[in-house]
Amino acid sequence: MLPADLRDRLAEALKGSRADYAEVRVEHTRSTRVAFRGARLEGAGESVDGGGCVRVLSRGHGWGVASFTALDDIPAMLAAAEEMSRAIHLERPVRLAEMPRREDVSVPAVDGDPREVPLGEKRRLLEHLNGLMLAVSPKIADTGASYFDNWTEWAFANSEGSWLYEVRPEIGLSAQATARDGDTIERSLESLGLRRGWRSVQDREGMFRAAAERALALLAAPTVEGGTLPVVLDPRLAGVFVHEAFGHLSEADFVYENPEARAMMTLGRRFGSELVNIGDDGSAAGLRGTLPYDDEGTPTQRTPLVDHGVLVGRLHSRETAAAMGEAPTGNARAIDFRHPPIVRMTNTYIAGGSGTLDDLIRDIPLGVYAVDAVGGQTYLENFSFTAAHGYMIRGGKLAELVKDVTLAGNLFQSLAAIDALAGDFQWNQMGGGCGKGGQFPLPVTEGAPHVRFRELLVGGEVAA
Amino acid sequence: MRIALDHVFDRIGRRAEGADALIRSESQLTLRFETGRLKETALRQETGLNLRLVTGGRVGFAGTTDLSGSRALDDVVARALASALEGEPCALAWPAATRCDPVRTFDDTVAGLDVATLAALGRRMVDQLARDGWQVSASVDRFVEETTFANTAGQTFVYRSTAIAVSAEVTRVKGDDVLMAYDDVTAMAVPAGTKLDAAVARIVTRMERGERVVEPPEGKLPVLFTPSGSACLFLPLRQALSGKTVLQGISPLGDKVGEPAFDATLDLVDDPLHPGRTASRPADDEGVPSRRLPLIEHGVVRRFVYDLETAARAGTASTGHGRRGTFGKPAIAFSNLAMRLGDADEAALLGAVGQGLVVEDLIGVGQGNVISGAFSHPVALAYRVDGGEITGRVKDAAVAGNAFELLKRIRMVGREGKWIGGSRLVPPIVLDAVSVARR
Repeated sequence: MLPADLRDRLAEALKGSRADYAEVRVEHTRSTRVAFRGARLEGAGESVDGGGCVRVLSRGHGWGVASFTALDDIPAMLAAAEEMSRAIHLERPVRLAEMPRREDVSVPAVDGDPREVPLGEKRRLLEHLNGLMLAVSPKIADTGASYFDNWTEWAFANSEGSWLYEVRPEIGLSAQATARDGDTIERSLESLGLRRGWRSVQDREGMFRAAAERALALLAAPTVEGGTLPVVLDPRLAGVFVHEAFGHLSEADFVYENPEARAMMTLGRRFGSELVNIGDDGSAAGLRGTLPYDDEGTPTQRTPLVDHGVLVGRLHSRETAAAMGEAPTGNARAIDFRHPPIVRMTNTYIAGGSGTLDDLIRDIPLGVYAVDAVGGQTYLENFSFTAAHGYMIRGGKLAELVKDVTLAGNLFQSLAAIDALAGDFQWNQMGGGCGKGGQFPLPVTEGAPHVRFRELLVGGEVAA
Repeated sequence: MRIALDHVFDRIGRRAEGADALIRSESQLTLRFETGRLKETALRQETGLNLRLVTGGRVGFAGTTDLSGSRALDDVVARALASALEGEPCALAWPAATRCDPVRTFDDTVAGLDVATLAALGRRMVDQLARDGWQVSASVDRFVEETTFANTAGQTFVYRSTAIAVSAEVTRVKGDDVLMAYDDVTAMAVPAGTKLDAAVARIVTRMERGERVVEPPEGKLPVLFTPSGSACLFLPLRQALSGKTVLQGISPLGDKVGEPAFDATLDLVDDPLHPGRTASRPADDEGVPSRRLPLIEHGVVRRFVYDLETAARAGTASTGHGRRGTFGKPAIAFSNLAMRLGDADEAALLGAVGQGLVVEDLIGVGQGNVISGAFSHPVALAYRVDGGEITGRVKDAAVAGNAFELLKRIRMVGREGKWIGGSRLVPPIVLDAVSVARR
C-alpha cells in the first residue's frame, strides 16, 4: 500500500524544489504470477514492486530525472534531478503545453478482486487450462501456460498543484503450445489481457484448446508461398498492422524536432483511400490501454489520426505538443516508476467498413488470408509483422493452412493498397504489450475489422 | 547487504530446509542526446531482493523492492513460504562454500565519472556525425552494481561491477525514404576515443553505402550477415543450447551432443571469466563458481547450459548459468558468449558473396517460431553485392531460411567481430543459399 500521508509528503517535497517544473510519480504494485511448463508447475507466487520517479525542468536547461525504490528520500531525489537538469544548457528551451491544475481519485470497480483469491485457487485454474493443452495430442511436446494479476496504486503530483491517485488493475492469461513431429517443431500462442477482475479470466478453456490444436495442425502445414500477393488480414493482425505501420509514426516525438520527418507527416497529407479511418483512444471503455490520465497527468482522449485517408492528428506529450503548437493528447506514458513518460499509443484502431470476410476474398484468384499476430516491428516507414498462421486463398475461397506467414511493407504503399474493410470491427484483448525506448511491455489494445490489401510482400521460401 | 541476508535467513528459521537469496543494488545514469543536443539526464537507483527456499521438499520464491524494514522482510518470507506450499518438489544441490576465480568486473574510473565527463563521450560521437539532413541521437549509460549472494549451505560472496555503453543513431529522411544507422560501444571500462571513432566510422559507412537505392536481387543467394544483422541465426542457436529447451524435449540439438551439427568453422564458448565484458562475474546468481565452457567445438555440439533447478530435473550438474532478477525464480542465461573469429577482411567476404546481399539489420527478429530455426524477415538495412562489390542499398526485400540448416555450410568467417550488447562476440559470416524475396 502507498503511505496514507503520501499526498502531504509529495506536496512538501515539491514545495522545496527550485525548478520551474517538477513532478513526482509514486507506484506500488502487488502481483501474482503462476506458470506451468509442460506438466510441471514452474512457479506460483506473489511479488511486491514499488518506487518513484521525479522529473524536473529548469528554464533554459534540460530534463533531470531520478527513479528510485527507497521512498524515504524523495526530497534528495528531487535535488539530484534538479542538479542534473541544471547541468544541461539548451539554446532552444523545452516548453510544456498548458495543463490546468487537477485533483482526482479513480478506483475502478473490478469483477472479483484478485487479491482476495487464494494462490492455490489461481494455481488450480491454470493447471486445469494447461491440462487441456496437454490432452489434445501426444504430439504436444511442450506447453507454457501463465496467469498474472497486478494491482497497481499510482499517485502523481506536480509543482502546478495537481494531485491524482488511481488504482490500475490488470489480469491476464497466456497459452503457448509446442507440437513436435521428428524435426518439425511448431508453436502456437493465445493471450488475454484485461483491466478487469478474477471473474473475467473464467471460462477461457477455448483459447487453450485452440492454441494446442493449431500447433498440431501446423505440423502438417506447408510454408506459405512467398511473393507479392493480395492479402486479407483478420482483425487481430490488422490491429497489429495499424499499431506498427502507422501508430508509431504518428507519435510526435519522432517528428517534432526533425524538419524532414515533419514534412513527411504533414497534417492534410493523403495516406490512403477514402475508406481508411485511424485513431487512438485512451478513454475507450474497459480496454487495456485505457486510463483516466497519462503519466504526465493529462486526461486521455479519442484522437483521430487519419480521417477518410487524410492525416488529421498525432499523439503528443506536453513537450511535443508545445513544440508543434498543437494540443496534448494524453499519450505520455511510462511502463513503471523506473522510467520517465514518453509518447506512446493507448488503444489504436482502424475503423470498420461493411460486408464480411467472404465478401473480401470472393474475387481473389490467388492470395493469402493471414491470421492472428505473433508480433510486429516498425523501422520507420518499413514494417514487418508475423502472422500466427494463414490460409492460401484460391479461386475466391479459403484453401490450405500455411505457416511462416511474415508480411512486410512500406507504410505509404501499404495504406494506399487497402481496398476493402469489412464491417466486423473488434477490439483485440490480447496480453503482451508494446515496446519503445527500452520500455516494454506497455499495455495497449488494438482494434480492427478484416482488412484487404490489393498486394503485400509475403515472406516465405522462394524457389531456387 | 550481507546483514540483510542474515536477517532474512534468521526470519525463515526452521520453517525451511534450505534457502538462497540475492540482493542486487543498481545505479544507472543515462544521458540522452536528441537531435544533436543533450536533452535529458536520468538516474535510476534500485535495490531488489530475490529469495528462494525449500520446505517439505517443495520450492518457493518471492521478490521485493521494498527493503524498508522488518515488516517488509517478514512479508517476503511469508510470500516465499506460501509459494512453496504450491511449489513443485525439486532436490536443489545448493553449492557449498567455494572459492571463486577472481575476474575483473569493476572499474573505479567508470564508477567515479561525473555527468560532464559522460556527456563528453556522447558529444564526441554526436559532433563527428553532424551533417546537413542527418538527425543524430545518442545515449551514454553508466551502470554500477553490487551483487550480494548467500545460501544456507555456506556459499556467500559480494562483488561490484560496472558497465558503460555509448551509442549513436543517425536518421536521414528524404521524401518518403528513411535511412537509419546505429552503432554502440559497450564494455566494463571507459571506451578509448579510438573505439568511439571507429563506431562513428561504421555509422558513416552505412549511411554512405545506403545513400543509393538499387533493385534487390532475388533467389537463393550467398548472404553476408554482419554482426548486427545475424541475430536471426544466433537467437535460435542460443535457445537450442539452453538445458531448459533440451529438458522440455523441443531443442533441435537435444540429441546431437558429440555430433557434427554445424560447419567445422563454428566454435562457440561461454566465458564468464573473460575480463572486462559486461556479463563477466565470479559466480552465477545461484552461487555456482564461474568457468569457461565450450558449447560447440569445430561444429560439434559439446554441451548445454543449466541452472540449479533444470540441472536437478535433468540429472546433471549446474553449469553456472542461473540468472535472477528481483521477481520470479532463477532462469538459465548465458554469460559472455563468444564465437570464434575468422581471418577474412571485408573485401574477401564481399568477394566470397560475389552476387548477393549484405544484411546489416533485419526487422522483427524473435517473432515467429524461433526454436525451429526458421526465419523470414524484411531487411531494415541491407546492400546489394555485384561482382564482389557493394552497389547500393536494397529496400522492400526479405530474407528467409533455417538457421540450423544454413550454419551447416559456412562459406567464410570474418575477423572483425563485434561484442553485441557488450557480452556476445559475433563475427561477420557468409552463408550460402539464403532465400531473398522482393516485391
